[in-house]
Amino acid sequence: MKYSYIKPRKKTPFTPDVQLIVTFFSMTLIMLFSTYAFLLFKNYTFDQDRQELINNKIDLQESIDKMDQKIAYIKQQKSLAEKVFTQNIVLKDSMANLFDLVPQRITLSRAELLNNGLILYGITPSKDVYNFMLLAPLRSIFQKTYTSFYPQENGWLRFVSTNYINEDENEELESEN
Amino acid sequence: MKINISRHQIYILLLSVFLFLFVLIFSFSLLIPEGKNYRIKRVELKKAQQEHDKYKNFHDETLDTLKNLQSKNRTIITAFDRPFSPKRFEKQYKSHFSSLRITKINRVADEEGFSVYEVNTTSHIASPTNFYDFLDALNKGDWIIGVNFPIKFIRDSEMIRSSFTMKVYENNRNKKSSASGSSAK
Repeated sequence: MKYSYIKPRKKTPFTPDVQLIVTFFSMTLIMLFSTYAFLLFKNYTFDQDRQELINNKIDLQESIDKMDQKIAYIKQQKSLAEKVFTQNIVLKDSMANLFDLVPQRITLSRAELLNNGLILYGITPSKDVYNFMLLAPLRSIFQKTYTSFYPQENGWLRFVSTNYINEDENEELESEN
Repeated sequence: MKINISRHQIYILLLSVFLFLFVLIFSFSLLIPEGKNYRIKRVELKKAQQEHDKYKNFHDETLDTLKNLQSKNRTIITAFDRPFSPKRFEKQYKSHFSSLRITKINRVADEEGFSVYEVNTTSHIASPTNFYDFLDALNKGDWIIGVNFPIKFIRDSEMIRSSFTMKVYENNRNKKSSASGSSAK
C-alpha cells in the first residue's frame, strides 16, 4: 500500500559538496605523494651516481699513480741509457784522441786504458823522439807520468810509459760537470 | 541571530580540516626536508662530477704522456727488458771484429735500481777504427751496454788483440718493474 505518489530520494553521504572536497584533496594528495616519490627516487639516484663517481675517482687515482710510477721508471731508464751511451761516445773520442797522439815514428805494442790512467808499451828510435813527440802531449793530459826505457839490439828503445790522472782533480772535474 | 548548521555541513568541515591538517603535516615533516635533501644532494653530485671530470682529464693527460714516452723510448724500454744473450751478441757484432768471444757473465752490484752484469770480452781487430765503429753500434744495439775499463790492446802480428769488460744493464726482475705495459682504462 502506497502512502505517497513520488519515489523517495536516495540519501547518500557523497553529496556534491563532499565529492568536490574529496576530489580537490585527492588531487592535492596525489600531487604531494608523487612529488615525494620523485624526491625519494632522485635522492636515491643521486646517492648511487655520487657513489659511482667516487669509486671511479678512486680507480682513476690508482691508475694515475701506476702511470706516474711507469713514467718515472721510463725516465730513469732513459737517463741511465743516455749516461751509458754518452760514456761510450766519450770513450770512443778519448781513444781516438789518444791514438792520434802517437806519432808515426813511435810504434805501440800494447796499450792499457785504465779508469784513471794509461799504460803504453812501444818502441821508439830515441829518447828525444819519445820526449818531444809523445811525452809532451801525455804530460798535458796526465798529472803523473813515469817512463822506463830498455835498449834493443838494433839501437832502438823499448819503453813503458805509465800515466795517471790525479784522482782528486778528476773527482773535482766530475763534480763540476 | 541563530546560526543554523546542519550535521552534514559539520562533517564536511571536519573532513576539510582533517585533510588540510594532513597536507600541512605531511608537507612540513616529510616533503620539505626531502626537498632540502634533494637540493643538497644535487649540489654534492655536481661537485663530485666536477672533481671526477678533473681527475679524468688529468688521467687522460698522464696517459698521453705515458704513451708518448713509451713510443719515443721504445728501443730503450725493450733493450732493458731483453735478457742478454752472448750468442746473439756475438752474431750481431761479429762484423766489427775478426774474432769475438764472450767469456764470463757475472752479476755485479745493482746500479740505480737496475741489474748489472759484467761481461768479459776478448777480440781481434784490424785497426782501432773497428773498435770505434763497435762503440757506435753498441749505442744502437739490442741491449744497454757500456764498455768499461780496463781496456787492453795488444799487438798480435798484423792484428790488435783487445780485451775489455762490458756492463750490461737490465730491468731488475726482483722488483717486477716494467715500463712496457700499457695502463689504458
